[in-house]
Amino acid sequence: MMASFAGAITRLTIPPRPCYNFAMLTARRVLETFKQIGITHVVGLPDNATAALFHALAEDPDIYLISVTREGEAFATAAGLWIGGQHPLVVIQNTGLLEAGDALRGTLMRMRVPVVCLISYRGYKSLAQLAAPAQTPDDLARRDVDSVAALLEPTLRAWNLAYDMVGDNADLEKIIAAQQRAREQNFPRVLLITETIR
Amino acid sequence: MLTQAQFLEPLARRRADQIVISAMSLVRAWGRLSKHELDFAFADSAMGHAQSLALGLALAQPQRRVWCLNGDGSMLMSLGSLVTIAQCRARNLIVFVAQNNTYEVTGNQTTPGAGAVEFHQIAQACGFAETFHFSDARAYERALDKILYLSGPTLIAVRLEPGHEPPPNRKQSEDTPYLRGSLADSAHRLKEALNAQR
Repeated sequence: MMASFAGAITRLTIPPRPCYNFAMLTARRVLETFKQIGITHVVGLPDNATAALFHALAEDPDIYLISVTREGEAFATAAGLWIGGQHPLVVIQNTGLLEAGDALRGTLMRMRVPVVCLISYRGYKSLAQLAAPAQTPDDLARRDVDSVAALLEPTLRAWNLAYDMVGDNADLEKIIAAQQRAREQNFPRVLLITETIR
Repeated sequence: MLTQAQFLEPLARRRADQIVISAMSLVRAWGRLSKHELDFAFADSAMGHAQSLALGLALAQPQRRVWCLNGDGSMLMSLGSLVTIAQCRARNLIVFVAQNNTYEVTGNQTTPGAGAVEFHQIAQACGFAETFHFSDARAYERALDKILYLSGPTLIAVRLEPGHEPPPNRKQSEDTPYLRGSLADSAHRLKEALNAQR
């Protein structure tokens, strides 16, 4: 009797339990990681996935935010900052990466500038719709698959750009590792942001 | 209208410890006039982004003036970068636009809007602190002693006669020393030179 009574109370008074997502990527922790590795400037352009990070950067007194009008500017500006003795980091969306390919090639890559680039992976979850990597025109035109997601990793591999995935706060150590590896190789390093930063 | 020599020689005579970034047809021309360790040829890189590299350098080295010797074809490729430069209030940056209305290094094909585009007006509308335009050599040289030292960002558009410079290549046989090394070597050498002068 007691058990069923308690159950009735529970159903009546406790709202549906929220779904806590402990695998969350937060602007605060991302910013802390930037500071931990001595980032002086963030150069980039926001999207929905990185909006919270840009809001946090705009309020932050320690890291200088440079908002650009087009992603190619970000790579060239970051190269200039690094040559001038600063420690920049680039944050853009994957669509912007494809738009700015030659700027990345002709600056960070060609100049051998060790800058970490955080690229938000728009359409990452849509790739689950594909049984195999998109290869055909039909794959790339599918309504339920974001073609920029389908083309992102093949593009990075074609450009010989090493990359890793960041999807929650536990992955933020990858930013530290990426910067270390970038410096060892004097070459940019890419991290793909697969979740919205909260 | 000025000749290329009338544009660059007065600058070379006034050059002290500024960082000078040259692009496209101005690379060899500047290299014939200057052998300074703070010269940087934005050649074999990413056309249209010299002014963004210069912005990064200007922000990284606020105690030093940065000159970007850009062409009109290059400037047209990234007009949005003028907004970024203005927004960053890079007071120590001067963007020169050599306006000969052609893509000189590919054989003087006419640029879009040739003769109609007024870069100084665009820069002014973007929020540049100082903008100037010259089509007379004497007026240009008379003004330089003042306008080179204003608090910028500054854009100086100069109407030039079309020249016949071939594309700036990087090879050991180049007469211009700063084209003899790779782009990466040049970038790292400039970084070392700036670091040594700190």
